[in-house]
This record gives sequence, structure tokens and C-alpha cells, in this order.
Amino acid sequence: MVFDVTSRSISITRRLVTTVLALECVAILALILAVTVHEHHIELQAFDATLTGAAQALMGSVQDAEDVGDNVVLDLRSVHLGRDSIYRVEDEHGKVLGSSGSRDAITQLAGISAGFHQIKVQRKEYRFTVFHGTRFIDPGTPHGGVGHNITVIYGLPIGKVWSEVFEAIRFFVIATVLFMGITGVIMAVMIRKYLAPVYQLADEADRMTVLNWQFDAPESAKRTVELRPLARALEAALLRVQLSFEQQKRFTRDAAHELKTDVAIVKSSLQFLSMRKRTADEYSHGLLVSLDDFTRLESTVQKLLTLARLEQPVTEADATASFHCSMKEVVEEAVHQSTSYAQLKEIEIVTDLSGAADVLLDRRDALLLVSNILINALQHSQNKSKVSISLVQQSSGVVLVCKDWGEGISEEDRPFLFDAFYRGDASRSRKSGGTGLGLSICKAICVRVGGTIDIANHSEKGAVVTVVLPESKGIPVLK
Amino acid sequence: MRILLVEDEQRLAENIVGALRETGLAVDHAADGEDGSLMAEQGVYDAVVLDLMLPGKNGQDILADLRRKRLSTPVLILTAQEGKASIVELLNAGADDYLAKPFDLGELIARVKAVIRRGKGASDSRLSVADVEVDTIHQTVTRCGEPIDLSPTEYRILEYLIHRPRAIVPKRELLEHLYDFAWEHHSNVVEAHISNLRRKLNARGEEPLIATLRYRGYRLIGGVRRD
Repeated sequence: MVFDVTSRSISITRRLVTTVLALECVAILALILAVTVHEHHIELQAFDATLTGAAQALMGSVQDAEDVGDNVVLDLRSVHLGRDSIYRVEDEHGKVLGSSGSRDAITQLAGISAGFHQIKVQRKEYRFTVFHGTRFIDPGTPHGGVGHNITVIYGLPIGKVWSEVFEAIRFFVIATVLFMGITGVIMAVMIRKYLAPVYQLADEADRMTVLNWQFDAPESAKRTVELRPLARALEAALLRVQLSFEQQKRFTRDAAHELKTDVAIVKSSLQFLSMRKRTADEYSHGLLVSLDDFTRLESTVQKLLTLARLEQPVTEADATASFHCSMKEVVEEAVHQSTSYAQLKEIEIVTDLSGAADVLLDRRDALLLVSNILINALQHSQNKSKVSISLVQQSSGVVLVCKDWGEGISEEDRPFLFDAFYRGDASRSRKSGGTGLGLSICKAICVRVGGTIDIANHSEKGAVVTVVLPESKGIPVLK
Repeated sequence: MRILLVEDEQRLAENIVGALRETGLAVDHAADGEDGSLMAEQGVYDAVVLDLMLPGKNGQDILADLRRKRLSTPVLILTAQEGKASIVELLNAGADDYLAKPFDLGELIARVKAVIRRGKGASDSRLSVADVEVDTIHQTVTRCGEPIDLSPTEYRILEYLIHRPRAIVPKRELLEHLYDFAWEHHSNVVEAHISNLRRKLNARGEEPLIATLRYRGYRLIGGVRRD
């Protein structure tokens, strides 16, 4: 498999770093905003206090005029006013006692209520305070002096507030951005470090070759919660592949062993015959024996080829051909074929074909299946016993049950019974005949059509083979 | 010389036994590992031909047990297994030779003879004592260049004795190595064969080549030339 690196590749490291950094940025921006708002509020309060103070000072500097009447004047000698300040002080008659700055702004503010107002003056934002107060002239006189209602308007450019705010948060922003940079770098390094088990797992997996299937997930991957399922799945998958590979290897080895043995027999028979001059009788006997040996070799080859054919995956053509045959006929033919062998061992074959039905199976395969099972049962039966074979129609399919009253099977052998070349007596002795391929062929036939085969012991001592085959619903139209 | 064949494949065993017997060897056959192991450990065989995949007990275990019991019987392995590793292991475990199946029957016989010879300390297939020479390949005997016509049994007695010159070979040992289980045992027949053999070898009134030591056995007299 080739990975297309050029198409969008996704890096978990990059994604993690980007996400965390983005979130950090958002958090920092929100924080800066909050701090700015807060700082602005505080600065504004301070600003307002300054305005109020200045306005009151202006109010305080309203003095009795140096004339006969009760007029007032503004004496600014002791008042310190800020640069760029705009102010106007007037009395109840609208007489301006003193002013500075833009006249327009002041006119805008004419008749406005007391409090703070923000107005743009010559493209400059100003904040004004309007202050109404009463100033008494000559309070020591008999009439209690003369009261003047004085209005003080005082304003300063608000830009100062913002510059104060920026001044206050500047250090905070720089420090935060610096910390973010440092944590970003540390995070990138740490994430790479934390992802090391992934790379180690990949390295270990990379180490495998066709010859070396050994895969041990690294300890780091096994300890990592997120990687554990992957490591386990890899190990399990490889174990399965390895098992199947081993099985293939064993099959090849066993097949080679079997064939070599058969060839060795044929070869040695002929060589033995040709070791010296023999009589015509000896030659003809030797030829017959050699022919028998050769037949056995042929049969082994035939069985291997059958197994190879059956283990091929079902092709499109096979699927559409949809074979079908009558199990009743097949069982009857298989019984008929093995009659002579059964008679030799004086074994009675009991059949119950009441539940017979058609199955989705090639007729030759079906016959091979049934006769293999039957011969197997006969071989493992004692002389003068019986073998029963029955067909039952169930919802799961057509069930073939073949029972014998022989020695049964041992639990140790049970998992291997369908393995090619496996023989029940833990040896490769051919005394009982057969190459050990019969049951493998049976299994392959069943698996191919989606059926099952199983061997167990029944309560009356002996083995029972149960085959379930898919039922055929009617005769398919041949194309 | 007596050979043990341990081979579970009946037809192959029949052919090997037949071929070895036709070359004048006494052959016993064991069809499974346990029998084979018991028979091999009797120590009466001059060579063992051992299959590896056997029911009951496999060839490797039989070989290991044989060597553990300090029996130096030469062992020739028959194997259908692939791979050099197992061959190296087998040779290291005490096997003397091996043949891969399917083998050549003639080669098997030659190798069996070679391991017997080696087992008895001889490198040449021709052995001689005094002026008697025995060719173990063609199974011919000459004295002073003159061919001597011996019966198969007589030849086998001489072949066995010539491997152990000047040693006293008890009659029981001679019997053990001459006949396999398929043979009818008649101990006095050996005496008849010995006397025939002595008569045929002792030409021109020289001292007898084979001495009979009462109750002890037989001895081949004379210096051996192995060339």
C-alpha cells in the first residue's frame, strides 16, 4: 500500500498545537478586553474627579468685584487649570465671567443639565462637567449678602484617559504574549514527546518483514490508554495472519512430505524390482505392486488438487451457476458405493432420509462430502457394528447426521480434526488408510457454500458428524 | 550384518527390507517408534535405518535415547523433511548419515554398508586377514588371489569375523548379527556353516584360519592388512 503524501495529510501534533494556541489567544484577547474595560472605568472615575475638582476650584475663584455693586468676577490667580481645557463660568444673568477654548463647544452646552457630557470639539473628544452653584457676596452685611447662581462648565480632552489606559495595560499585554510564546514552544515539544509511543509503535510495526512476523507492541504503547486498543488490535491481527501463514506453511510441508513418501515408495518399488534379474512371475507381481503404489500417489495428488480447488474463493461464475442437487439421491449413491467395504467389515448402514431436500451444492461435491464422511465412519467402526445416516430439514438448512459406534474422538484431537493431514492417532501411520485429507475436503466443501460441519461424541459411545447445508428453494433457471 | 529398519510406511519398508536382504544383510523391521526404540536399544544391530516421522515416538527421540544409553550403533536417517537446520541438528545429535526421501535404493544400500564399515573402524570396503581378502561390495573372497566360492551364510560369517580379527566372538553374538527375526533359529546350523567355511578357507595344509574355542566362541587368527 502506498500512502499519497501529497494529498492533504493531517498532523495530530499540528492540530493540537494550533488548537491550544488559538484557544490561548482567544482567552488572552478576552482577558485584555476585560482588563481594558475595567481600567478605562477606573481611569474615567479618576478623570471625572479631576473635572469636578477643577470645576469646584473655578467656582471657588468667583470673587466679589471691586466695585460698588454686588457683581462678581473670576479671579484665576490661585487656580491651576489643565492644558487644552475649555471652561466657562457665567452667572444667573448669562454674563460670562470667564472662559477659554472653543466658543462653539460652549454654545452647544448652553442650558444643559448638570453632570458629565461628552462632546467632540474640533475633532477632539472632550468630557465636560456642568456645575451649578450659588455664590454669596458679602455674607457679613445686614441683608445676608447677595447670592449669585453661578454655572461652571469645564472640559478636558478625554484622550488622556485612553492613553492612561494603554499605559496601564501595556506591560500586562507584553508579558502575556511572551508567556504565550513560551508555553506554545513548550507545548509543541511536550506533545511531540507525549506522542513518542505512536512513533515507537510505528517503528516496531515497520520492523516486520515477510520472514519475521514477530510483533511485540512496545511497552510505551501498551501503557498509553489511547494506544492500547491499537497495539492490541495490531498484535491480534498479526497473530491471526501469522497463524494462517503457519497453517499454510504446515500444509505445504505436510503435502510435500506426503508426496515425497508416495514418490519414494513408487521409486523404491521399481528399483527393488530392477536390482537383479527376476523371474517373469516376480516381475508381473512387482509391476502390480508398483501400479498400486502409483495409484496411491495419484490419489494423493487428486485429493490435494481437489482441496486446492475447493479452497479457492467462490468466483462470480460459480455464484451465478448456483448448483443444486437432491441430498436423498446423493446419500443413496454414497451408501451404494461403500456397500462392499461395509460388507467386508460386516457393518450395517442404517439410513433415514425422510427429511430429504435439495441443497445448494454441486452434485459431485455433495457426493464427495457424503462418501468421505461415510467412509470415515466405516473406518473408525468396529467390525459387526453399525453406522447410521439421517437427513433432517430444519430452519437452518438441511442437516445430515452420521453416527458410528466406534471409539469416538478424543477431546485433544477435536480442534485439529479438520486440519489437512491430521490423523487421530497423533502419527502419520497409514495403517488405517487415507491421507488425512478427507475431513479437510469435507470442511472445504461445507464452508464454500456457507454450511457447517462438526464432529462430536454421542452418548452411546462413538462419533457423530453433523453437517448443515443451505437448502435449495426450487430449480434455478439455467442461463 | 544385521540391520534395524524403523519405518512406519508399510510399502516403503517392504521394499527397503527386500533390497537389504537381497544384498545379504539380515534386516528387522519396526513399524512404530516405540518398538523401534526398544529393538535398537538391544544393541544387536550393526546399523539402524531410522525414519523421522513415526507413530509413538519420533526418530529424533529414538536417536537421542540410543546415544544416551551409550550405544554407538551407526544410525542412518531417512527424512522427507526440508531444511538444512534439521539435518545439522540430527548429525549433531549423533546420526551418522542421512538420506532425503525420495531416495535411490542403490544409494541407500551403499550408505548402509558405509556406515557399517565405519562403525567397525574400517575405511576400505576390502578387508583382509593373512592372505584372505574379502570384498564387501562384490561379496567375493579370495585367498592368495584365488577366488573362493562361499555360500551366502558362510560369507556373512566371514565378513562379521574379519571385522574383529583376533577377538573371540561368542556364538550367541554371531547368531545375533547373522540372522533377523524372520530367520529360523537353529544354533547348530552355525557350527555346520563354520566347519564348511573353515574347510574352504584352509587350503594347502596351513594352520586353520578360524579357531574354535570351546564354550567361548570363534576367533579369526592372523594379522590383518587393511589397505
